[in-house]
Amino acid sequence: MKDGRLEQPLYPQECRQGRISYSGEFKVEAVFQFNDGAPIRQTFNFGHLPIMLMSKLCHLRGADPRKLIYHGEEATEMGGYFISGGLERLIRILILQKRNYPMGMVRGAFIKRGAGYTDKAVVMRCVHHDQSSVTVKLYYLQNGSARLGFWFAGREILLPVGIVLKALIDTSDREIFASLTCCYSDKRERGKGVVSTQLIGERTQIILDEVRALSLFTRTQCLVHIGKYFRSAMEGFEKDDYETVAEAVIKDYILVHLQNDNHAKFNLLIFMLQKLYALVDQTTSPDNPDALQFQEALLPGHLITVFLKDRIQDWLQKSKRLIMEEITKNKSFQLNNSLEIRKFLSKYTTSVGRAIETLIKVGRANSQSMLDLPQREGMTIQAERLNFHRYISHFRSVHRGSSFAKMRTTTVRKLLPESWGFLCPVHTPDGEPCGLLNHMTSICRISSCYNSEGAIKDFQKIKDKLLVELVRGGMIPLLPKMEHTGPPEILHVHLDGCIVGSIASAKIEEVVNYLRRLKLLAHPATPEDLEVGYVPLSLGGAYPGLYLFTSPARFVRPVKNLVSLPDGEPRIELIGPFEQAFMEIRCPDGGDGGRKKEFPATHEEIHPTAILSVVANLTPWSDHNQSPRNMYQCQMAKQTMGFCGQALKYRTDVKAFHLQTPQSPIVRTATYKKYHMDEFPSGTNAIVAVLSYTGYDMEDAMILNKSAVDRGMFRGDIFQTECIDLSAKRTENVPEIFAKSPLSRDTNNVIDSDGLPRVGETVVPYEQYYSIYNTLTGAIRPVRLKGTEPAVIDYVALNGTNSKGSLQKVNIRLRRKRNPIIGDKFSSRHGQKGVCSQLWPDIDMPFSANTGMRPDLIINPHAFPSRMTIAMLIESIAAKAGSAHGKFIDATPFASSVKEDGENRCKYDSIVDELGPMLASYGFNHHGTEVLYSGLFGTELQFEIFIGPVYYQRLRHMVSDKFQVRTTGRIDQVTKQPIGGRKHGGGIRFGEMERDALLAHGASYLLHDRLHTCSDYHVADVCSLCGSLLSATVINSDTQKKSKRHMLGLNTVRPAKNFACQACQTNKGMETVAMPYVFRYLAAELAAMNIKLDLRLSNRREAPPSNESC
Amino acid sequence: MERPAAGASYQRFPRVRIRELRDEYAKFELRDTDASMANALRRVMIAEVPTVAIDLVEIESNSSVLTDEFIAHRLGLIPLTSSAAMSAMRFSRDCDACDGDGSCEYCSIEFHLAARATDSGQTLEVTAMDLRSTDPKVCPVDQADAAGDSRGILIVKLRCGQELRLRAIARKGIGKDHAKWSPAATVTFMYEPDICINEELMETLTLEEKQSWVESSPTKVFDIDPVTQQVTVVDPEAYTYDDEVIKKAEAMGKPGLVEINAKEDSFVFTVETTGAITAYELIMNAITVLRQKLDAIRLQDDDGDLGELDAHLVGG
Repeated sequence: MKDGRLEQPLYPQECRQGRISYSGEFKVEAVFQFNDGAPIRQTFNFGHLPIMLMSKLCHLRGADPRKLIYHGEEATEMGGYFISGGLERLIRILILQKRNYPMGMVRGAFIKRGAGYTDKAVVMRCVHHDQSSVTVKLYYLQNGSARLGFWFAGREILLPVGIVLKALIDTSDREIFASLTCCYSDKRERGKGVVSTQLIGERTQIILDEVRALSLFTRTQCLVHIGKYFRSAMEGFEKDDYETVAEAVIKDYILVHLQNDNHAKFNLLIFMLQKLYALVDQTTSPDNPDALQFQEALLPGHLITVFLKDRIQDWLQKSKRLIMEEITKNKSFQLNNSLEIRKFLSKYTTSVGRAIETLIKVGRANSQSMLDLPQREGMTIQAERLNFHRYISHFRSVHRGSSFAKMRTTTVRKLLPESWGFLCPVHTPDGEPCGLLNHMTSICRISSCYNSEGAIKDFQKIKDKLLVELVRGGMIPLLPKMEHTGPPEILHVHLDGCIVGSIASAKIEEVVNYLRRLKLLAHPATPEDLEVGYVPLSLGGAYPGLYLFTSPARFVRPVKNLVSLPDGEPRIELIGPFEQAFMEIRCPDGGDGGRKKEFPATHEEIHPTAILSVVANLTPWSDHNQSPRNMYQCQMAKQTMGFCGQALKYRTDVKAFHLQTPQSPIVRTATYKKYHMDEFPSGTNAIVAVLSYTGYDMEDAMILNKSAVDRGMFRGDIFQTECIDLSAKRTENVPEIFAKSPLSRDTNNVIDSDGLPRVGETVVPYEQYYSIYNTLTGAIRPVRLKGTEPAVIDYVALNGTNSKGSLQKVNIRLRRKRNPIIGDKFSSRHGQKGVCSQLWPDIDMPFSANTGMRPDLIINPHAFPSRMTIAMLIESIAAKAGSAHGKFIDATPFASSVKEDGENRCKYDSIVDELGPMLASYGFNHHGTEVLYSGLFGTELQFEIFIGPVYYQRLRHMVSDKFQVRTTGRIDQVTKQPIGGRKHGGGIRFGEMERDALLAHGASYLLHDRLHTCSDYHVADVCSLCGSLLSATVINSDTQKKSKRHMLGLNTVRPAKNFACQACQTNKGMETVAMPYVFRYLAAELAAMNIKLDLRLSNRREAPPSNESC
Repeated sequence: MERPAAGASYQRFPRVRIRELRDEYAKFELRDTDASMANALRRVMIAEVPTVAIDLVEIESNSSVLTDEFIAHRLGLIPLTSSAAMSAMRFSRDCDACDGDGSCEYCSIEFHLAARATDSGQTLEVTAMDLRSTDPKVCPVDQADAAGDSRGILIVKLRCGQELRLRAIARKGIGKDHAKWSPAATVTFMYEPDICINEELMETLTLEEKQSWVESSPTKVFDIDPVTQQVTVVDPEAYTYDDEVIKKAEAMGKPGLVEINAKEDSFVFTVETTGAITAYELIMNAITVLRQKLDAIRLQDDDGDLGELDAHLVGG
């Protein structure tokens, strides 16, 4: 792939503006060789490849804030997303099974694999070094044997494990028997760490008998057996012999992470069998696939790599087919003619680039196979910049996979202890994606192919060095055969899914400690994110062993290691979820967790807040709140209207919210400063009084002080960007351009001479704000503003011209005022949301006698007892003390537990005891209450009122965007009833339940008015003779008369229409009946089905006998 | 307070004593009246004393980072010297000279602002001092700090090349319509407390107990005489009716140590203005407005049904 930079760099901002993708040219250099001829190098154009912002190919890589601002970006731009069609999209991090670790699983679905299958299997997701993966499953059969299953060409292939074992290496039955049964010794029956039972011998016998039954004895025979099965299906091996095919199958499908090392594959397969039997005999417990311990993340780069590989393979196959067809058709075709070959090869090239672009744009990975991915759709999401909380959450979110969303069971959604410190227990949405969409904690990272210096890790080198260190530590390397014994005497050492040796279980802890020590000392053999997964011997617990991982895509987080090094400083160590489950990590908040002295802690949490995500960390004193309230706050923080960005002027979001006068919270956590939240503030320190004052604060309604709003509290704007592309809209091939009508009466002064609006002008609804000139017809079409509220033209950007150089594409950004009004939603930082019910005059608000302070906001005291958001009360007290004192108050949760450990032991038992004297020193009550006077009467209120500043956020849900009102308006063409939908000026449905309510009240007139008069009132002409509603026709006998009157210049009074029944051929018996129009429609629909609807009027005359059909 | 017999006059003769009077601050006592009167005065001072504030902004050019509406809103909140607002100026809606469109000399004052940043090195701060008034009597309030530097209220900061040009019209209005017309920063009153220490009971306390009792009040109301070691009331008006001392006395097992009652006919007012008018003007104008309002009620009903109120207003 070549660096696809253009002469004139195209910057991300220009891509957003022009609604195009930020991508580079995608060129591939292919080398092809015909037989032994000279290899020919040729480059192919594969279209475009999306470029991640701030990646190595991005123009903004390494740019300083000044340069970023110059290019219309945020000064703090972090990148990590793509721009596709002007939208910012990022690849969602998905949870995958941990790579290269054989997992013991019990799953009911395994039984359905075939007759004799059980629900137990050992599953291993093997990942090739190019990040493509193949999952192999080793199923246990009821007869004691096992089958190795993997997906091949769209279906699961199940091979008897004996054949695979024999096909891997030249071995004898005796050798297989010995390796498998080595872990069992009859000396020990049951004890700590014993994983095998005597049944293993019989089972091995069965495995070997199966192979013998097929009369396969040698490796070659086994290979031929496999090869026969696969040759027809393996692409490109049609002409090879069976052995080569089988070798290829083993290489590409069976334990692919070990590549060509068949001995290692053999050893690993033996280990998997041993683990499977241990699982069956319940000497080891199954591994929980929902626990983070056995999971890793799907990284954007890995996804693209895997998908790209698949697409290029697809391209090669398609091209090959083309060439084959050509050879059969055209006899003179020469394979060594490079020009000809090139012609066929370049036919499908652009499909590769396009596939990657669709992956980013719609999130769909179109491929023949599943690519061993959990889902095909929904791989990408849009990074909405509503505010910083929402924005950062997109990058920190981890999804469990869309397939789990439909599942009935809730087990996957459970919060498991394994995710401690990696996934935030607080920050997950409630409702449908609850527990599936998690967020990484603020300290959690994902290991990658890059080390801390940014250089690519040389995994082979690391492995080699690590092996040397392991041997030095006491490991017995196993080359090439597995040692003939097993747990509990010795434990196997796995390094990234390869068994590299064994250590006597007595020595293992020493080795583990040695490795951890090396990690702390930053030894080159141990990368900083090395996972030392030591599973100790246990009674029926997890399968013991030492599992080392250096691979990318693992979750890691820093903790303090308590081992004292020569310099005495406690060091930070990165640990993973796999090893964490077996480590002793102390948390300052949790004491010793009941483990006493027997299991001394080896590690310590850096801070108790490490378990919280970025957003959850911003809730002040969240440890004092009832837990669901903190969850709600995480939701609401992501909906606040704040500063979506400093570069708002250059933003082209379809909808952007902006708060005019945000403030920095007086009460804040340590995280607030760490993430520079002052760059993106999202609320106001409002003086909140907790009292029931007018009755307008019932049920979470809140009263805002009108004067405070007048002075700018919670004022905001909505920016809406419209992209007008004339070339895209065009249906017939007529070019259109922007132009202003020369006639002054057709236009207004909003439209400038170029046909586009003037910046700064206010446009009212239905007013035209730009006009389009059709170059063929010469007609000028003005475009009018939609909606019901005026807008200000904020910005007009010219984006592109057509080949003739006339302007075709513009962005018009409209600005709409959103001052707080009744019905707007606000919330504190403690999951306490409310709706503004009144803008109450300042003079009517209660006031404090000594300060004269009137509250900005009144909430009802009933908001507290059931919700128990104590932190909000503390915040009020703290903010009052802080504002009197002129300093910010630290509200980091669990801070007191940390302080107690340090030298500066906390003087007070509770925060209130700490803040109370501070308040008192400024002449306030200890507990934050004040005596208030009624603003209406000037008399003292009976009780002291809790009043103080609380940081309130304005949420983006505003009535101006939601209200729906209608008197008259458009009606449905078919039923003549009012239409629905806010956008079209429709009404709100008066449904059955509403109807029931009115019926219950006996409000029949009102009911009649709503459902009939104001809806589809209709006067129908019914023939009382035949009872038909549809047979009435107008007799236009007076047409002549009318025209005569018209000619005479007399006013044409419309005479009453005469109706006659078409069926009865008479106008006798015609009656008018008021009915809903839909009833007539029903009659017409029934008539279409040959059913007659017969009306019997009460004054029905003698009717001729009719054949009644209904 | 004794209730007069039926038919008797409720007339009272309120007294005012000014304790402190500065340009933008006043503290006075209002005696011999009741809460309704005190509160009415407070409400009028906040919401109904007219001032002048920028109401209409025509922006010619704005290339600053702030939006037009935001700048207009900021301009509106700048306090303007409005001594003329009470009598010399008309409300635009009542103005005969300009048919109520609010652009004549009787009801409006025009302001101009033109600023352009040319220095590439630093940002230009456009402040209220850059507003040029057409009427020397109405101009932005001089916000001089203690050192005497008058910097003015910041409107917007301009970077090199950015420009702000506008025409603004200031009009007379009241705080009820919009907070920008409110001349009062803070108006509050408190009931004067009547503190009565039970000396006998107090003498039963030790010095430490006295000390802790005195300190239980968050505001410094009581103190101990260093000589006589007696508890004295040093600042009764610092008392916030928080009952802290009474609770403390009860907690010490000495209920009735102190008795505090609010005098229902005495009020201590604190008035702070935005600078648009002086505190003195604010109080006087408030009384005038209050009078006018009552006059309006009286004129509404000439039949004299409000005989009682009538008599009260005329003063006899």
